[in-house]
Amino acid sequence: MSTISISHLRKTYGQFVAVDDLSIEIPTGTVYGLLGPNGAGKTSTFKCMLGLANCGLGQIAYDGQPLAPATFERIAYVPERAVLYDHLTVAEHFEMTRRAFKKFDVKRATELVGQFGVDPRKRARALSKGMKTATMVAIAFAREPDFLILDEPTSGLDPVNQRSVLNLIINEATRGCTILFSSHQIGQVERAAERIAILQNGRLALEGAVDDLKADRKIVEGILPSEDYSVNGFAADRRIARVDKQGRILRLTVVHEPDEIANQLAATGAQGVRVVDLNLEDIFIGAVAPDTSNAVVVEGAN
Amino acid sequence: MPIIMTVDPRSGVPIYLQLIEQIKRSVALGIMAGGEQLPTVKQLALDLTINPNTVARAYRDLERDGVIETSPGRGSFVRGDGAAQTTAQNAGTDVARESFENAVREAKSLGLDRGVVRELFAASLDRWLPEGP
Repeated sequence: MSTISISHLRKTYGQFVAVDDLSIEIPTGTVYGLLGPNGAGKTSTFKCMLGLANCGLGQIAYDGQPLAPATFERIAYVPERAVLYDHLTVAEHFEMTRRAFKKFDVKRATELVGQFGVDPRKRARALSKGMKTATMVAIAFAREPDFLILDEPTSGLDPVNQRSVLNLIINEATRGCTILFSSHQIGQVERAAERIAILQNGRLALEGAVDDLKADRKIVEGILPSEDYSVNGFAADRRIARVDKQGRILRLTVVHEPDEIANQLAATGAQGVRVVDLNLEDIFIGAVAPDTSNAVVVEGAN
Repeated sequence: MPIIMTVDPRSGVPIYLQLIEQIKRSVALGIMAGGEQLPTVKQLALDLTINPNTVARAYRDLERDGVIETSPGRGSFVRGDGAAQTTAQNAGTDVARESFENAVREAKSLGLDRGVVRELFAASLDRWLPEGP
């Protein structure tokens, strides 16, 4: 078992609230994606999870236990910016890690950096940004961790190496490792993650299984019988997050039972009713854009 | 024979549904025969770079639908008793029915009457499924 649970986490820096009442449960063997605009609180959450920042309020638990010195043997973390010593070689970093962590496999780490085209004899200052990321990834994945926390683990990498990192994540998950990762590249999260959380201004804007979110959230649109047709019924429907109306064109952002809503719209006599699929990027933008918390009617100017 | 599958993770159609649809299609077309072994969950997840639990979910649904069977330790196989083919063909009928229903609904919402819809249907039938010689 290797579950992570975050409950009611709140982190402030002075007056600024970085994370506000965040609760997430990550079951064993899950790849969990954390998404959010810049400054949404992703890195602050990671820092609290690792004890690198004091959590003001709330709890972080690994297998139901708070973070303890022994937990660090089981957690591997790849920070957003590589933490490497300029004057040390990649191989020397491996040696340092080997002394700090019992399970670190130098041979595996060497093999992994090799796959990314990094020469372990090179000093860190001679590495490109992508090579630094690759080195951090290799060190983390060669520790056979139970928990992997990855903050932008593909930054600076080319598309082939990005794909390699995703496959490493998938491979670890099949071993039962529990993985939390953030990325601005929504396409990567869409592939590798089973569940996601979208943060905005430190709060949880949306959470769920990627496939379920895609099945539930659709756009339903159609042409109303007349321009002054009342859409109050749709605006009051809890399954509809947003109502946009321009003249006779009605566009509904549906979060549940899209086919039912389409049938209801067709029953009003609306023409050309169709259901449009949304991908994770559409869902992300819908979740972080303003005016989505309540159903709103936007009357277009004629 | 290895199965060739492609998924589009950027599509709004859930990935597990894309997998189910492709495997059923392969079985219905005989590209995958009864008794044939499917890739392991891990192998397919790595081949397609998708989440392993998503693959597992597709396999579970295919097993529930009677298309594949999984024996612990051996792997997943297309059912060999013909049931898989029947199920897959029924699934094909369901897909076609849904397309017809959407087409008729669209025609109705565009204000076409029954006569016009019948003519369109007959024309498509003549074009794609003409009567044999």
